[in-house]
Amino acid sequence: MPGKNYRETSRRGGMLWLLQRVSAVVIFVLLIIHYVTYHFIGDGTITYDRIIAKMASPWFNLAQILFLVTALFHGLNGVWMVTEDYIHQRAPRLVLAAILLLLGLLLLYGGTSTVLNAGYPGGVSQ
Amino acid sequence: MYKPRKPYDLSYTHFVGSWAWLLHRLSGLALIFYLCLHVWVIHTLTLGPESFNKLMAFLTSPLFRILEAGLWGVILYHAFNGVRVIIVDFFGGSLAQKKLFFVLIAVAFLLWAAGSAVIIGHIH
Repeated sequence: MPGKNYRETSRRGGMLWLLQRVSAVVIFVLLIIHYVTYHFIGDGTITYDRIIAKMASPWFNLAQILFLVTALFHGLNGVWMVTEDYIHQRAPRLVLAAILLLLGLLLLYGGTSTVLNAGYPGGVSQ
Repeated sequence: MYKPRKPYDLSYTHFVGSWAWLLHRLSGLALIFYLCLHVWVIHTLTLGPESFNKLMAFLTSPLFRILEAGLWGVILYHAFNGVRVIIVDFFGGSLAQKKLFFVLIAVAFLLWAAGSAVIIGHIH
């Protein structure tokens, strides 16, 4: 691609590369907590009351939202890194970046609203 | 301009790393697909106990328990090959990458067996 600012794109790519690894370490730790607390403690039945009881702790919820943000970033950035190897034209890359960004924002909104509204059917109006 | 012939290249004679790389990508794509479904499904928590418990009763049926054990395996592969990637990238582990692969995958396999026993044991 003539006239492309390689220095800028390589810097951005390097930053995404690094963030992919940093988020991986965060996810590794949080996923252990997620799996043990939700799936390996207890008899495996997942009920509304059990989940809502866990969500009473603000620290637990903060960890959940951090988990959501890092996992979404890591996953969608991973898709970006994979497709970058196969898509070389500017236009389809921009379309893909827009789709991934929108999907990320949508899931971030959905997940955060679950954490904030769970236990209050109809939404937090108090 | 660079023209890739295949979406992957496993033609290296000692191809443990190439396979690890390809499986890492495929497992990663599977996991982000799962994460999207997971966030969407868990959103039923906001609809109250009836909808959530009904959905969970369906999603903890024996078929889904088996899929859950499979998911646990995909997660462990991605996580432990990811540990290898970080050791190679940041801690000078590139010369030991094949050995690291087999050791870490062995650990992942043991965790998969133990976790799957718990998950399958949850079938009532």
